[in-house]
Amino acid sequence: MTTVIQTRDLVKTYGRVRALDGLDLSVSAGEVHGFLGPNGAGKSTTIRILLGLARATGGEATVFGEDPWRRAHELHRRIAYVPGDVSLWPNFTGGEAIDLIARLRGDGKDKEAYLERKQRLIAAFEFDPRKKGRTYSKGNRQKVALISAFATPAELYLLDEPTSGLDPLMEQVFNREVARVAEQGATVLLSSHILSEVEQLCNRVTIIRAGRMAETGTLADLRHLTRTEVAFSTQGQDPGVLTGVPGANDVRIDNGRVSFTIDSDRVTAVLPELARLEVTGLTIKPPSLEELFLRDYGDELAPAGTRGSREVRS
Amino acid sequence: MNELLVLLRQRRRRDRFQLAVWIISIGLLTYASTASVAGTYGDEAGRTQILQLAVATRTVLVFRGTPNGPSLGAFVFFELFSWLAVMVGLMSSFLAVRHSRADEELGRAELVASTPAGRILPTVATVVHGLLANVVVGVLVALALIANGLDAAGSFVFGAAVTAVGATCLAFGLFVAQLFRTSRGANGAGVAFVIGAYIMRGIGDAAGTPSDDLLHVTPAWPSWISPIGWGQATGAYVRNDLRPLLLAVVFSAVLVAVVFGLQSVRDQGASLIPGRPGRANAGPLLSSSVGLAWRLNSTVIASWAVGGAVGGLLATSLSSLVDEVGSEAPDVAKVLQGSLGGAASLEQALMATVFGIVGVLACCCVVQIGIRARQEEAHGTAETVLTTPVPRIRWLADYWLVGVLATLIVLACAALAGLVGVGRAADPDALATELVETAIAQIPVALVFLGLTLLVFAYLPRATIPLAWSLVGFLAMLGIFGPLFGAPKWLVNVSPFTHAPVPVGDSVDWTGGLWMIGIGLVTAALAVASMRRRELVSGG
Repeated sequence: MTTVIQTRDLVKTYGRVRALDGLDLSVSAGEVHGFLGPNGAGKSTTIRILLGLARATGGEATVFGEDPWRRAHELHRRIAYVPGDVSLWPNFTGGEAIDLIARLRGDGKDKEAYLERKQRLIAAFEFDPRKKGRTYSKGNRQKVALISAFATPAELYLLDEPTSGLDPLMEQVFNREVARVAEQGATVLLSSHILSEVEQLCNRVTIIRAGRMAETGTLADLRHLTRTEVAFSTQGQDPGVLTGVPGANDVRIDNGRVSFTIDSDRVTAVLPELARLEVTGLTIKPPSLEELFLRDYGDELAPAGTRGSREVRS
Repeated sequence: MNELLVLLRQRRRRDRFQLAVWIISIGLLTYASTASVAGTYGDEAGRTQILQLAVATRTVLVFRGTPNGPSLGAFVFFELFSWLAVMVGLMSSFLAVRHSRADEELGRAELVASTPAGRILPTVATVVHGLLANVVVGVLVALALIANGLDAAGSFVFGAAVTAVGATCLAFGLFVAQLFRTSRGANGAGVAFVIGAYIMRGIGDAAGTPSDDLLHVTPAWPSWISPIGWGQATGAYVRNDLRPLLLAVVFSAVLVAVVFGLQSVRDQGASLIPGRPGRANAGPLLSSSVGLAWRLNSTVIASWAVGGAVGGLLATSLSSLVDEVGSEAPDVAKVLQGSLGGAASLEQALMATVFGIVGVLACCCVVQIGIRARQEEAHGTAETVLTTPVPRIRWLADYWLVGVLATLIVLACAALAGLVGVGRAADPDALATELVETAIAQIPVALVFLGLTLLVFAYLPRATIPLAWSLVGFLAMLGIFGPLFGAPKWLVNVSPFTHAPVPVGDSVDWTGGLWMIGIGLVTAALAVASMRRRELVSGG
């Protein structure tokens, strides 16, 4: 499989701030790749470098095998981009902005197909294209970028928190469009911190923290890193027997329920034991990215992990 | 009351450098120019001669003031006041817009309005802040004059007149900030008001009635619709009459009352012109980045082109006036001709002077176009364009191209409007040729400022707006008024406006123009080439 995006030891500094600190990222053709990380982890900086809007301080980044800074405008013919915070020309209508962006991207060859896609998207996103840019809310400005991105075909979609400001209904429309372009073989890099969105859309995920890659892999790979949570009713159970369940961790009993966690690949091994105990109200919750995320960042949620201490660790 | 103090402190802190630079420059310029005038025109006989010459030709008065006798104080007032008034007017107008519409446009005002400070108090704070700044300027001006040995009473009247003009422009700035939706629009209207006030009083002085001894002029009515005219009417050092300043007080008070009235009825962020649904699809112009750059600047270009046309009309109509003077008082014409520049005819010299101002307009226009590039960058819309297959270099080059087009349009409008007035001249063909030549002669200086603005944008992006405006303002003052105040020759020569080619006799020396075209092209090329390495710099 060919690699579309490749960064090696990517570094970007703004003055004394290290926004990226040796990031490795690899996205293969045809993949919908989730790009996760807390605010300030360097997701947007990475995408700006991949777009040639910012220049890497160190390391290497290639898009379609080319240097995104030097070959920016050639690459842009193949890329569609949706930023997390869209700025519009205050005195242009939304429709004008959509057309302008699409034309600059070169829709000229197939006007009718473009118009048809545009109309379909405007209807799907329930967007009013006749209002002036300054009057749109954040969600509506977001729609301008989404409509112009999906109205022109691209080989690579760089989406930087594209659904911020959209309501859940519109998120569904967005998911459909991403699925559509993925089906047509496009590559998508989706930066987000909405985990359900990533779980629903992405085949592979990279999690970054403090400008470095923390985890990468398929969702299945990552799920192995976390434990499955098993819980059942205490009714008629002797808590003592639970110690007999092999591999059970963090056993807790509260509100009339027993819960414990177990390595995900050992779930089937404990099922006979649970059957023997004839447990009731059994729930088995597969690991979610949420937990992975919290596990990775939990230590940072504590006393706002200072930059200094991070640097000591790295 | 507490909130008002907080808002005032915030304004003072935000303006601490910008306002300090304005106030100190105005104070220092007053001091230096007064010293220079006193040194150059030391004796009353010399001043009498100059005044008589000026009054006899009258058109010269457009660029000076109302003559009011040969005493040193009155002479300084005559030479300096209108010019200081323009500076303080610009300072106040920018201040007003900065703290009203600009804040509102960027959503900062909303943040403040949601606190107990509310919607109205910030405007009160801006009025107080602006008035305080103007009082400081007035006192500094008075002190600078007294330090040059002028009498205290007259100096304070002079200072009060400066403060009054500032207050008027402050009020007008706040007023247009209510009307316009963008700070750019409001600032443009504010600048137009100041320039308009200057021109109206200039016409008033030029069309005024001279006394028999040719030492005094009673301005015609246009002076009375100009705040700068009201300031001049105080007759500092001679009449010391503060009553005309009442007009400024009343005018400002009424405008401020209107501002509060408008502010209390309109929504935050809205303007008085209601929005209506626009087009759903883009027109053919919005298909390329150069089309976009053109569309973003077309209003600006149209406004400055109108200014250029007015300038062109003024040039030829003043020329025919000079013709009259020439035939009525040939001696005066001779002397004037000599003092204005050797072999150049009076008409040529006058044309060069008026078109010098048109050249400044063209420069303001290209500066605004360069600034638009910066605003696009700061606002984030440049990023949108640059994530499409538009090369970075091409993006900035398009602004340069639009700037060149704008220069040609503004000057062409001036020349065409001027040609309308040519018919009445004694030798229409010659005048028409001169007119076109003089208009073409302004192209190089505009190219220099276009290049300079883009260069500032390339290397000091965050400073683009203040620095580009200051450069054009300072260098224009230096080029046009520098010689009047006896600024050292090397300093005057720094200003590109000094080097605009001037038709002398039948020939034009294009050397300066060719140099400036070179400088303009090199600076623009450096700026555009910098985009190869330059990252986008976001707002702030």
